[in-house]
Amino acid sequence: MSELSPYLADLPRLAPELLLTALALIVLVWDLVLRGRDSRKLGYLTLFGLVGTGWLLVQQWHAPTSTAFGMVVIDRFGTFFKLFTVGALAVVTLFVLSDRREKKHGVGEYFFLLIGAAIGIFFMVSTNNLVLLMLGLELLSLASYALAGFHKGSKRSAEAALKYIVFGGLSAGVMLYGISLLYGLTGTIDLAAMGRNAADGSSISLAAQFTASPVPVAIAVVLVLAGFAYKISVVPFHFWTPDVYEGAPTPVTTFLAVASKAAGFAALLRFIGALFMAEGVEVAVSAYAQRIGLLLALLAAITMTLGNLSALRQTNLKRLLAYSSIAHAGYALMGVAVMTSAGFSASIFYLAAYYLMNLGAFGFLLFFEGVTGSEDVDSLKGLGWRYPLVSCAMVVMLVSLTGLPPTVGFYGKYLLFYESVDAGYAWLAVVAALNSVVSLFYYFRVAKALFLTTVEDKPRVLQPVLTGIIAVLAVFTIVTGLFNRPLQEWANAGPASLHIPAAQK
Amino acid sequence: MGLGAYVAVSGALFALGLIAILVRRNVIYILMGIEMILNAANINFVAFNRFGSMKLDGQMFAIFTIILAAAEAAVALAIVLNVFYLFDSIKPSEADLLRE
Repeated sequence: MSELSPYLADLPRLAPELLLTALALIVLVWDLVLRGRDSRKLGYLTLFGLVGTGWLLVQQWHAPTSTAFGMVVIDRFGTFFKLFTVGALAVVTLFVLSDRREKKHGVGEYFFLLIGAAIGIFFMVSTNNLVLLMLGLELLSLASYALAGFHKGSKRSAEAALKYIVFGGLSAGVMLYGISLLYGLTGTIDLAAMGRNAADGSSISLAAQFTASPVPVAIAVVLVLAGFAYKISVVPFHFWTPDVYEGAPTPVTTFLAVASKAAGFAALLRFIGALFMAEGVEVAVSAYAQRIGLLLALLAAITMTLGNLSALRQTNLKRLLAYSSIAHAGYALMGVAVMTSAGFSASIFYLAAYYLMNLGAFGFLLFFEGVTGSEDVDSLKGLGWRYPLVSCAMVVMLVSLTGLPPTVGFYGKYLLFYESVDAGYAWLAVVAALNSVVSLFYYFRVAKALFLTTVEDKPRVLQPVLTGIIAVLAVFTIVTGLFNRPLQEWANAGPASLHIPAAQK
Repeated sequence: MGLGAYVAVSGALFALGLIAILVRRNVIYILMGIEMILNAANINFVAFNRFGSMKLDGQMFAIFTIILAAAEAAVALAIVLNVFYLFDSIKPSEADLLRE
């Protein structure tokens, strides 16, 4: 017992993860007891559990940074993303409960899989240990594969799941191979230890290996980055995104586009931060980090351009939003590419904005599927006059997605552009600005379909819960755009807890 | 046998797995290709651990990878079975409802 006690003492620090795990098991067992009948109860239980998890996370925000079991880092960076994950998951749960097309299916496992994916995210955003990173990532991925194919009788859903698991399995394998090479080169699976030489000589820093054998290090880092690029759907690992987003049930698409992508970004930020930018990382690494930065900047430019140009010719709103989410991954990657503490803050801020506006946009998509049963932009015609509140909220989201004031999307883009220019990537800021102009065309097309045409009156379909969520998200999008100070301070806490010195340029 | 031999074997296995995924049209072969890549990583982990006289990190990682591979195969085969019921085929090229 005395040998166990240090481990037991660490357990309370994992309270949010433990609560979610208990919730997942309760939901699973209760669903078996109910035999798929009355699964709305499970949704309410999930919401209740998520509120509890959120409360525990807020407690952790104020606690000092600590490490549980030598591998789970509890810091503000991780807690920030966990809070947003919980928020996004709560919204997705409400989406599932209010999806008019969902009721014919037994949706109990929906909640179990969503909570499982969230547990994966929780571990993957808060660890420097590559085993735990990989396990968290796979837990998220396996739950996502099953969720994408959730409508078992639907051909499109089945095809989405097949494409998702083939691409996902390949990229996870490639990433794992990269990790095995990194392990061989440095002798450790801890990212923080890879950054610097161990005092007892048990591990070799990546910097020393880089001067000794640059090619294997480059291969290893690029292979691991490929795994991340898949998760955040960056070119050239984006092929799965439009197909999977279109075929998966809309609440699942929301989860994949918002929570899963942001979690991939969080893990990427921690990976690059710990390996190349943290305090104590040797000077030899900085030059190498600049090259990785240039690679990421090129990928960011290609990703946003390809995403926006492909979105231009989409007639299906779901597919349009999928390409738009690829473009936004490109924007958020700008802040990573500049390899500065301020750039990381800008990236984190933009991801927070991305949560708000995309939850709203996908909520609108779900609302409108419930009304018309179709996903085409053309079938939106005149809906703006029949559903003014939801449509006005959607216009706010579109303005924010384009990056126009006074929304949070504008301020996030402003930060990203500013930091890119500041770090010497002026060309990247120019490319991104041109892309924002391109994106205006297809976002405006949606707004135009809503308001600039009129059609005959039909009975209104009321969906009060969805309307409420979308309206609240729209208000948030404007309020956080006008009063961005608190959100910015939270975003700034991220690089600080990754031990990235602020002055590094 | 030195470390080089193990790394060569794992490199070859990785390359074969990639080729299987890119060339084969049948999803079962694609899944086997993925398994080969995962096992290539496993060989690396165990070999580096043995020759680097490190802690047992690599061995532990290999065990977790085996579990991951099994879990992934279970989910993948369930999805493939569902696709087979709906499309009467397990060739990804024949499931093509979602495209431009």
